[in-house]
Amino acid sequence: MTTASEPREPAIASKASAHARDADAWDAPGASFVAQVWAVARKDLLLEARSRERLVSMGTFAVLVAIVFAFAVDPAVRARSIGGAMVWVTVLFAGTLGMGRSWALEREAEALTGVLLAPIDPGALFLGKWMANMAVMLAVEALIFPVFALFFNLGFQGSIPALAAVVVLATAGFIALGTLFGAIAAHTRLGDTLIPILLLPLLAPVVIFASAATQRLLVGRPAGDVLSQLKMLGAFDLVFLFLCTALFGAVMEE
Amino acid sequence: METMTTPSPATAYAHSGVGSSTDSLAGTRRWAMALGVLAAVTMIAALYMVFFYAPTESTMGVVQRIFYMHVPSAWTAFMAFGIVALCSAGYLWLRDPRLDAIAVSAAELGVVFTTIVLLTGPLWGKIAWGAWWVWEPRLTLTLLLWFIYVGYFILRGAAENPERGKRFAAIMGVVGAVDIPLIHLSVQWWRSQHPKPVVLRPEGAQADPAIVQTLMVALLAFTLLFFSLMLFRYGLERLRTRAQALRVAPR
Repeated sequence: MTTASEPREPAIASKASAHARDADAWDAPGASFVAQVWAVARKDLLLEARSRERLVSMGTFAVLVAIVFAFAVDPAVRARSIGGAMVWVTVLFAGTLGMGRSWALEREAEALTGVLLAPIDPGALFLGKWMANMAVMLAVEALIFPVFALFFNLGFQGSIPALAAVVVLATAGFIALGTLFGAIAAHTRLGDTLIPILLLPLLAPVVIFASAATQRLLVGRPAGDVLSQLKMLGAFDLVFLFLCTALFGAVMEE
Repeated sequence: METMTTPSPATAYAHSGVGSSTDSLAGTRRWAMALGVLAAVTMIAALYMVFFYAPTESTMGVVQRIFYMHVPSAWTAFMAFGIVALCSAGYLWLRDPRLDAIAVSAAELGVVFTTIVLLTGPLWGKIAWGAWWVWEPRLTLTLLLWFIYVGYFILRGAAENPERGKRFAAIMGVVGAVDIPLIHLSVQWWRSQHPKPVVLRPEGAQADPAIVQTLMVALLAFTLLFFSLMLFRYGLERLRTRAQALRVAPR
């Protein structure tokens, strides 16, 4: 399932030395980094667009979590006061569910070997995967938020741009770590079981800032009130997008 | 993976290790032993000071004495995780198995000392705060730290082959260490949103020099104990790798 159309003979030869860290092994003549990122992202999005298996499973799961919340939360509790918490717990669980699938797909029929043989930078492979996962997650979130708004009568209407900023920034950092640990978990005996165990403690900042910001918007506070949380989420994104891209080569080595 | 060509254990012992023919473990063991003896002496002195030298704190009473174990454990745990982060980054860079051995030794001790922190904290908290657990920033950070490094070991053990396990654990070590300041900031902010619990801070008691002296001796004792245990554990990890190499080496 390789998508790169560039000549790849020299890359295969040097790849045999099993030193993926050697940048030359990944050097594809003519293929820029951005093109490589896009090639990987396009491949994953095309697969998702045709099968829709992750969208369907994550979306269904998210709606079911909403129903579980409706059953579990005491009717005396105003949903408005815990809306931010409920919606981010759901996003986190649904996202964790989807992260493993992104790499399980590659492991089936040794597709990953093909991807690794392609003359592509490991950082580009990571960012491509991140972009595709990000798109899937944002699509699921585009379902989660209206469903919660509908089921629990939450009013997000007045704050859509600010809410969108919170969602995008929180998801970017979440998916950066999710993509990295999804790839790692795919190479372990425990598989996807490992993802939430590794991910949830690391995601404490995302949960704290995203749910607090969402809660503030929910109770009608102006967009300026979530600026500091947006900044913190942005800092988290920058740190982990950079770090995960840099570390990804060490995950993929044979 | 270590390459082993000499079948004689005596020479193999001295010449194994990647690019380190002088890497005999006898020195490591001597240092571990020496530090262990020093740690034992200081620990006895610290215990004596805790129970007979330091005065009983006026507001908290005798329960405050647990701080002489709690604070040094926390200090040791954070130092351990600093070592894990540095050695993990070093391992990913240089791929020297000795760095991985140091990282895993420090991480294991870090989990042990964090567990001591998490056990001694509530014992004090129940008396001083009236609750076993309070979502105070430092407690929250310590708890998350514990989970991150337990994850480090689960990940290491679950990898399909040991070399992968070392790399994955190193990645976890680096990511965890980078995340710690962000978690710290976030839990600080998170708690500042809520009314603070009535915290009787240990700093209030530090006016008495006897208390400070006891704490310092306890800190020294725990630090020595940590390095002694780390060297023993490091030696064990290296021996384990060598035993593995001997087992697979052709006779």
